[in-house]
Amino acid sequence: MKNRIVQSILIASALCTAPVVLQAQLGQFSLEGHTFQLHGFASQGYAVSNQNNFLTMQTSKGSFAFTDGGLNLSTSLTDKFRVGAQGYLRNVGQLGGGRLSLDWAFGDYRFADWFGIRAGKVKTPLGLFNDTQDAESLHTWALLPQSVYPLDLRSSTIAHVGGDIYGQLALRKAGSIDYTVYGGARPNDRRSGYYFNTQDTGVPIRTFTGKIVGSDVRWNTPVAGLMAGMSFLDEMDHINGTYIAAGNAPYLLDSSPLHMTSAYVDYSRGKLRVNGEFRRNKKVERFNLFGNQSALNFSDKGWFVTGAYRVTRQLELGAYHSHYRVDVPQTADPAGNHLFDTTLTARYDLTRWWNVKVEGHFMDGHGDLYSAHGFYLRSNPTGIGPTTNLLVIRTGFYF
Amino acid sequence: MKNFKLFVLAGVAAISLQAGEIKVIANPSVGAAAISADDLKRVFLGTRSSLADGSHVEPVLAKTGPAHEAFLKEYLGKTDGALTTYYRSLVFTGKGAMPKTLSSDEEIVSYVAKTRGAIGYVGAKTAATGVKELGVK
Repeated sequence: MKNRIVQSILIASALCTAPVVLQAQLGQFSLEGHTFQLHGFASQGYAVSNQNNFLTMQTSKGSFAFTDGGLNLSTSLTDKFRVGAQGYLRNVGQLGGGRLSLDWAFGDYRFADWFGIRAGKVKTPLGLFNDTQDAESLHTWALLPQSVYPLDLRSSTIAHVGGDIYGQLALRKAGSIDYTVYGGARPNDRRSGYYFNTQDTGVPIRTFTGKIVGSDVRWNTPVAGLMAGMSFLDEMDHINGTYIAAGNAPYLLDSSPLHMTSAYVDYSRGKLRVNGEFRRNKKVERFNLFGNQSALNFSDKGWFVTGAYRVTRQLELGAYHSHYRVDVPQTADPAGNHLFDTTLTARYDLTRWWNVKVEGHFMDGHGDLYSAHGFYLRSNPTGIGPTTNLLVIRTGFYF
Repeated sequence: MKNFKLFVLAGVAAISLQAGEIKVIANPSVGAAAISADDLKRVFLGTRSSLADGSHVEPVLAKTGPAHEAFLKEYLGKTDGALTTYYRSLVFTGKGAMPKTLSSDEEIVSYVAKTRGAIGYVGAKTAATGVKELGVK
């Protein structure tokens, strides 16, 4: 335990001091006639709960195992063609394992403002925050609403290896529309919630592959500060695993496809920002064991509403309610099909590149253990209580 | 009551005067003589990189100052913090670059004068040598 704390502090120190040095020296530089931009972010958190360990951290004892960071480099090769890449690592409990991964890396050719193409590994636009969820400085919250942006399942939708078509259509007095249409292969992260969940329940995944196609349309309305949008994502999952209770028999699990639908709205006026999102996931899982196939309908839904007010230049106060429900028959455990979370946050910006957040979560329920949402048997071997109060303190640097 | 009305009118006049004290400048390579307020906003939000005449454009911002505050309020409808967050969201997803930001009107004029496609804003009284002034429709 002590080693993990020391390791977390060392990683955080390295991540946190690097931006300060880099900001002064390397934010922008020229090479071979091209101007390069180097940007990055890093954060370190501490989480403590009254009971139940959350997000694979030992939060009931207090945990510093909440570290992440990213560093990117980009340049414009011509007026229309940009290239760039970002590395990202995280060590949140057992999630991510502190390993560096390629977060995004793509070429972006903008033929016109209404039509551009990106190809490579591209962040997936899904709802309000999917593509920006790692950069905590962009958000009021230390933890985004877990009903729609579960940190443990982040890597399943965060990016795709493929391509985007995107652009903005000006609608004159009706505002403008930003659109993105995309397709590619889903990421495969062995240190994520799906792997942990299946390991804990005796059906460990060996490989998890699949293709995704999707679209995102957001309308910048003529009402100042008001934006509304919808996202659709279809994911064709293909899972190979072993069923331990059946003598490690291999199984196949296909969902064809998983439909994800998101509707969202965001409004900001002066120091006030409010937004909300509804997400619905629906799929038919086809489970094949010993050549016998069975099908299971699965669906869950989540929504949240948030409000934040910038009280002073440094201080922002906010609150949200996050609501997640998995559609499973009610079991003996009444807390086993939902996770509701009411959250209060204070964010303090010490400088333009450094913030501290203090956040209280009041959670009811723990979701379905066969479709994990933050709570895992591996970190809660003696069972999970029906409610959890969680305090998160998180500081972030960025340049 | 009369004094209150005068106070409100004086306040409105002061705000208008501040917004009116900005001028939008561009590098002479920019063909257009004027730009719509919508297009100006799109240029500074990175969703428009060329104008109707085909000129490539890129925004240049001031770090702080009254011209900066007035420009944000008049044309972008965002606070300085919200604008910075917006640019960071582009940078950290790879979908855009951080625009050039400079400390003074003089630096902005100098940069715009020598940078093809650059568009910036300065106080109305700033000498704008080597740049063209864009009308905002």
